[in-house]
Amino acid sequence: MTDAATTEVLPDVGREEETKDKSSLEPAWLVICWNDPVNLMTYVTHVFQTVFGWNKQKAEHHMLQVHRQGKSVLARTTMEKAEHYVHQLQKYTLHATMEAES
Amino acid sequence: MNARRSGKDHHIFHLGPREKDLLFQTIKLYPLVPASHYQLSKSKNAAQSDENQRLLDESLAEQRQQNRKQVLELLNDPQRLRETKSGFELKLAPTQMEWLLQVLNDVRVGSWLSLGEPEPGKEPELTEQNARFLLAMELCGAFESMLLAALGIRESPGWMNG
Repeated sequence: MTDAATTEVLPDVGREEETKDKSSLEPAWLVICWNDPVNLMTYVTHVFQTVFGWNKQKAEHHMLQVHRQGKSVLARTTMEKAEHYVHQLQKYTLHATMEAES
Repeated sequence: MNARRSGKDHHIFHLGPREKDLLFQTIKLYPLVPASHYQLSKSKNAAQSDENQRLLDESLAEQRQQNRKQVLELLNDPQRLRETKSGFELKLAPTQMEWLLQVLNDVRVGSWLSLGEPEPGKEPELTEQNARFLLAMELCGAFESMLLAALGIRESPGWMNG
């Protein structure tokens, strides 16, 4: 969608887990969409609306982040759900990955 | 190709004879993105097992098979396209719109990869072998735009600012 450089800033990984309640032990995963300049802005907006059930305004906000900043964090969730979202986004040929939150 | 009318359960598009041929020639290229293109993660985290990647590969392979089946049905079933005086009418249910968008974007991205991933506004280095991909990429973009317009999604002037 843009010629902006897609700087790959990856979250730190391998952080020691603390012994707290279950929710703090469960690592959070970020679903990230990266910019591929070939994708139409309208198409990316549609896919975000379809996969996440977002309204047009929210979908456009994230689409523009991808377009202008090279990537957008679309969700912070469990590993299982992150996998699901990445699968869905990739079915639409979007460049999506899941990364462990630092 | 333009939207004739849209109902709750379907959208009807009009295609001229040449447009129909171009659409069919384009979707025949599906799938074009190599399976190895898809990665679950950019990082090499221990939690990212090969098993997860294998599941992603399987899921996408199954999806491609289903989409390929739909493409063949569209290409081979004359009932899907109704001939009119000026061309053809294509009737698509919402789920069919989704698979057609997926198919078109696969061919668009696959063509872009085959052209060496040119940046917007930059001409790819064309050869006898890859020239057809430039046409396919542009055609897919045009067909996608028409499908998305029928869904009420159009580019906003504000998107180009900033």
